[in-house]
Amino acid sequence: MQKIPLKKAAPGMILARDVYRNDSPAGMPACGSGIVLTDVLISRFEQINVQALYVEGYPLKEPGAATYEEVAAILDRRFEKVLSDPLGAKLNQIYKEYFKRAMGEESGDEAK
Amino acid sequence: METKRSELKNIIMNTRTLPTLPGIIRKLTQLSENDKSSVQEMARLVSSDQVLSARILRLVNSPSYGFYRVSTISNAMILLGVNVVKSLAMSSSILGIMEKNNIGLWEHSLAVGVASNLISKKLGLPESEEIATAGLLHDIGKVIITLNCPEEEARVRKIADERHIYTIDAEREILGVDHAEVGGWLGKSWFLPEKLVEPISFHHDVELSRDHRIKTAVVHVAEVLSKASGFGDSGDPFVPSLQSAAWDMLKLTDQHLAELVCELEDKLVEMKNFSLETYESA
Ligand SMILES: [Fe+2]
Ligand SMILES: [Fe+2]
Repeated sequence: MQKIPLKKAAPGMILARDVYRNDSPAGMPACGSGIVLTDVLISRFEQINVQALYVEGYPLKEPGAATYEEVAAILDRRFEKVLSDPLGAKLNQIYKEYFKRAMGEESGDEAK
Repeated sequence: METKRSELKNIIMNTRTLPTLPGIIRKLTQLSENDKSSVQEMARLVSSDQVLSARILRLVNSPSYGFYRVSTISNAMILLGVNVVKSLAMSSSILGIMEKNNIGLWEHSLAVGVASNLISKKLGLPESEEIATAGLLHDIGKVIITLNCPEEEARVRKIADERHIYTIDAEREILGVDHAEVGGWLGKSWFLPEKLVEPISFHHDVELSRDHRIKTAVVHVAEVLSKASGFGDSGDPFVPSLQSAAWDMLKLTDQHLAELVCELEDKLVEMKNFSLETYESA
């Protein structure tokens, strides 16, 4: 699953989460998850001021973007003073798992 | 060193070089102490100050609070509570200085505000708006140090950088005091409520907090998460240790932490877009 700005949305992408109107996030969803995006739907989202969407897979992988290994190395540098501490090590692990998932490194979630 | 410390304290307690409380805050305080005065009256008073209301509305609309399109001061007061708006009004001068002169610290502060809000909502804590405000204000002491001791502050940065130590340890070494304590002094001299002053004073040392330890613990955890996410710049790049006093106080679990990381990263993406928008339109 990836969060993308509406500007980058394209027909064929699949919604991974419900879309809410930007002005009433607690209200009824404007569109449910699992729906395949179309041009009509995207312009409708523009009209009601939706800023971002969650879509299945990881469709926007820009060339030159950091790899998971690079992100993990940056995390370890940030955590260098607390890795020997149990809570610090735990948080480091949680962050790594988060990025593994968010960056589509999971098995079976190899998005195109 | 002791002289630098008392010098700073003197400056904060008596000086005119500090951003002073505008008269409007004094009036607001009088109004809010009088039970009969309505939210509308107070809102009218704040609205009469254009700069102040613009700042408050921008803060309220920032993702740190998660409300959407709050366009009037009276709505802000109803949503956040009169006291939060009052604290924001009091602090808006200093937050304004931060936003202008130290964008990295401003972004870090926003992130800690957002994270504080997420944590208190997740744990179902009362007064989550106050906790978010405390998060937003937690490093105001740094602004005071920059304003009043620019030379020492440069040395703090230098030795922190050279020796790979936490900024707060460098502050204690150079100034004999750290930004948390300085922030606490400022909060007291402005008569901010204790529930804001304690988290500001003890966000690096949760155990020292007495009456508002839960709020302090939330801001501490928010600080740790924000540093881990690498959003903004508070001086050094190092994640501080997550104090077990905070972990135990909040009865946090691994599950909480994993969910919080996910929610915070989500919000920070929104926030990056938000700051781009506001700077582009400014
Ligand atoms: Fe901080
Ligand atoms: Fe701090």
